Amino acid sequence: MLLPMFEFHEPLSIEEALELKKKLGQNARILAGGTDLLVHLKKKLVKTDNLISLSRIKALSLITEQKDSIFIGACATMAQISRSPVIAKKFTALKSGCDNLGNHLIRNRATIGGNACNASPAGDTLPALLIYDSVALLESYGKKREIPIADFFTGPGKSCIQPDEILTGFRLPIPTDHSGAHYIQLGKRKSSEINVVNVASFLEYDPGTKKVITTRIALGSVAATPIRAARAEAALLGQAPEEASFFAAAEMARREDCRPIDDFRGTAGYRQAMVGVLTKRTLATAYERAKGA
Amino acid sequence: MKEFDIISTRAHRIDTPDKATGQAVFTDDITRPGMLYGALLQSPHAHARILSIDTSKAKALAGVKSVITHEQAGHIKYGVSPARYDETVFAIDKVRYIGDEIAAVAAVTLEIALAAVELIEVEYEILPAVFTLEEALKEGAPQLHETSPGNLCAEVHQEFGDVAAALKECDIIKTSTMKNKRQDGAFIEMQGCIAEFDNRGVLTLVSSTQVPHYVQRTVAMVLGMDVGMVRVKKPYVGAGFGIKAAANPMELACCILARETRKPVKMNFTRKQVFMYARARHQFSHTITTGAKKDGTLMAIKHECWLDGGAYTSFGIATVYYTGSLLGGPYKIANMSYDGYRVYNNKPTCGAQRGHGAVIARALFEQQVDMIAEEIGMDPMELRIKNMMDTGDTTCNDLNMSSFGMSECIEAVRKGSDWDKKKGNMPTGKGIGMACGFFVSGAGYPIYRSDTYHGTVIVKLTEDGGTALVYTASAEIGQGSDTAFAMIAAEALGIPLDHVRLASGDTDMGVDLGAYSSRQTLMTGHATKDAADHAKAQVLEVLAEQLSVPLKELDIKNGFITFAGDTPDFSALRTRYIKEHRGWIDNPDSEHLTFKEASRIAFLEKGSIVGTGKYKPHNLGGKFKGAAVGTSPAYGCSAQVAEVTVDMETGQVTIDSITDAHDCGKAINLTSVEGQMEGSVSMGIGEAMHEEVIFNDKGQVLNADLAEYKIVTSMDMPRIKAIVVESDEPNGPYGAKEVGEGAIMPTIPAILNAVYNAAGVRINELPLTPERVYFAIQDYKDRMAK
Repeated sequence: MLLPMFEFHEPLSIEEALELKKKLGQNARILAGGTDLLVHLKKKLVKTDNLISLSRIKALSLITEQKDSIFIGACATMAQISRSPVIAKKFTALKSGCDNLGNHLIRNRATIGGNACNASPAGDTLPALLIYDSVALLESYGKKREIPIADFFTGPGKSCIQPDEILTGFRLPIPTDHSGAHYIQLGKRKSSEINVVNVASFLEYDPGTKKVITTRIALGSVAATPIRAARAEAALLGQAPEEASFFAAAEMARREDCRPIDDFRGTAGYRQAMVGVLTKRTLATAYERAKGA
Repeated sequence: MKEFDIISTRAHRIDTPDKATGQAVFTDDITRPGMLYGALLQSPHAHARILSIDTSKAKALAGVKSVITHEQAGHIKYGVSPARYDETVFAIDKVRYIGDEIAAVAAVTLEIALAAVELIEVEYEILPAVFTLEEALKEGAPQLHETSPGNLCAEVHQEFGDVAAALKECDIIKTSTMKNKRQDGAFIEMQGCIAEFDNRGVLTLVSSTQVPHYVQRTVAMVLGMDVGMVRVKKPYVGAGFGIKAAANPMELACCILARETRKPVKMNFTRKQVFMYARARHQFSHTITTGAKKDGTLMAIKHECWLDGGAYTSFGIATVYYTGSLLGGPYKIANMSYDGYRVYNNKPTCGAQRGHGAVIARALFEQQVDMIAEEIGMDPMELRIKNMMDTGDTTCNDLNMSSFGMSECIEAVRKGSDWDKKKGNMPTGKGIGMACGFFVSGAGYPIYRSDTYHGTVIVKLTEDGGTALVYTASAEIGQGSDTAFAMIAAEALGIPLDHVRLASGDTDMGVDLGAYSSRQTLMTGHATKDAADHAKAQVLEVLAEQLSVPLKELDIKNGFITFAGDTPDFSALRTRYIKEHRGWIDNPDSEHLTFKEASRIAFLEKGSIVGTGKYKPHNLGGKFKGAAVGTSPAYGCSAQVAEVTVDMETGQVTIDSITDAHDCGKAINLTSVEGQMEGSVSMGIGEAMHEEVIFNDKGQVLNADLAEYKIVTSMDMPRIKAIVVESDEPNGPYGAKEVGEGAIMPTIPAILNAVYNAAGVRINELPLTPERVYFAIQDYKDRMAK
């Protein structure tokens, strides 16, 4: 399999990239790590006359800590995010999503922006982006906009990015004290795998009342996009963080929130059952971490 | 036991420096002056009649040098077994699977060749297709081959003893079924080749193959050439596992393109084409009934198997026989019947893969042995030992176990895994299981009926006397055979390993049937020892005469001549040697006469010292139809213990450890033996846990790459404790026999028995995906609840 012919652009600044995107529009694809795009080009699943590589724009691969949030550049790689001390400390579910994507070789190339723009329902970092209430930062020539991650995905492989826009990164609010999160992915083997089901959960509890005061649960591979489990979240809110309420929330996620399909990776029935198991387990670990936090 | 100097050590492999530095040359590393690139047109339809082929636009494309179809390639049928030749290089009137070859192009670049393939216009009449056993066997089903009504490629019916009568005497009878999934060998190097004619009309084909000899014969037959005008060379090869054990249509197309263009032509399979060509392990559907007495004596096996064969026969006729013949051992079972059927359908063709034909039958039967042990309350190891064949025993289908360390293997894994402490004492979700298996050390007969030697080897001593050159046509494909034969030659000659140079994988060097059926260590090993002994004898004869010492008192050890009696005065020989080396500063001055001096003197007396060696097995097997398949001069055997953790909520199985003991006869190279054991376990785990070629309803492979075809990763591999059990095989060189394939036999059933121990469920379909295990556990819980 050979790569098809295309024009290759390597802008040195965001402005230059936006100018190219404005000029080429739908006739150009953005190249970040290339771990999906180059494969799709080889397999002729994607056709384009132009590739705009973002790899030489330094600002896009930064991870910076602000007062109450962090910025992760769209071109930050899985390996880079995983190595970041602030992420290891405060965004454990995201770190674990990054650590479980593909294998070492892929993680050295694949970027968080690419993972989001590829918009696979099974994407490894996406449930974590959802539970940390991330904001996607989009730019077009002369214009910027911010999209809450919950509104970012519109279908399998589809997001709300416009043809002239580039995703420059994400802003993630730093989780409060007494909160914790966890991510679990389930596949057929332990590495180089595409998930059958993946779940991330976040919860914050009030140490005084011992009640859950915030929770976000995200499910992957069980709908057209990664989704929030709204009914499960509602079921857990205000409850005591304990096995019974985690189980009740998990049952809600399994029965009400997910809409899986059969495909060659697994049946809808199994996926649904696993949503229950993984939701329960991620909540339990999230709470353990919240207590330790 | 005899003491050895070279063999049975952990000598470094002779190919390691090349491979570690990237200097090892594989087929695709080779470029020839003026070389063209070839590409194949393969059918996009699973079953279609070809109405017309128009190559004119492809031929008109600038840079295209040749476009060939069946018109140029001819209609000669080939395949693996001559009785079952059912393939032509290119489809003539119809295509039978997605990937069936229709035409090929040679052009000055690969891009042009691929573009030209797109320009070939084929008019098809789409025919209804069948993709499963059930569809293919249905009355009125579309037929693949006119010569095989009912899409039945082959059937085998055998009975040894009296199964029905024996089952009547049994106290316990277990019947169960098992199904695996079609596999891919997933070797790292995809098939590739370069064909080239010289000005005298000699064709040289360089190919990534396991079997230069069979490829040479097939190419000669299909192209209508003398075998002597065809040379097949195998550079370094990135594994084969059975899939590369026959000529493939790309090799043949490449030779024809070279003939048409008179230019070197290179062709490669992409990974997708590897999956389309297939020829790996079949999907087997087994039903086995095993009967036993309540004291644990195994009495009878009734075995039925259906093989999902794909579009052509390939190795299938051998596979369907192997499936039956390699089941009864390693146990003493007097009654065994087998009904095997191989069925054609419109998917790529299945063939041979590590543990040819026998792996899934073993996986089912070894579970039944455990079921019987459980029912009578006997330890599974005890039951196996009770029924185990002894050295010298012959199975009911006439396979003779001339050495058999099976019970020793069981004891080794019992101790190595701490079985006695763990079995029966593990918490829910943790399990331990074991299984046994055995395999041939080389097929007893060649694939084509012949009295040929299975291997010939030449050992030539260099004129200076210092170095032995070993020439063998055998195939080093990563398993370490070159190193093994260099070690055998060094041992036989009595010289250090680094004084041996070895060249292999070239049909000009002799006959060798190649790397399949775990044959080379025993067979090529014999021929190597024979050739080295011959060369050594010639040196010692000259020496005996020169020194007036009886021949039988002379020997060579560690590069020095030894004398059984007093050391004679050899100063005249040394002076003669040294006189020829005036100015040299490293002339021998040791107390002992060196091999180098002796061998130089032998050259001066006789000219080139060339030892020739050969091997073919003695007459093996019974007289019944199919008796040849499964015969071997020796059988390797092994036992494994698997320990697993089953996540009872998700169905995920983690293999915590494998303890593996294998009787390989005398281990030529201990490290290589362990490498084969670990490789076998890895392949067995892959098949047990996640590997399956998946098709859509059009007969197209959905996971034709190594991202979606899931072999084990390093993260999935457990710790393996590999224990080499040595026996002394009378039919093996220095007592050696196989390890390459037998070691996979117990892996799958050991895992299945461990999963049963952990979770209480028997799973009759592979792979053990979390989903399949989860539903089995749910089903078990439902049944328990009722």
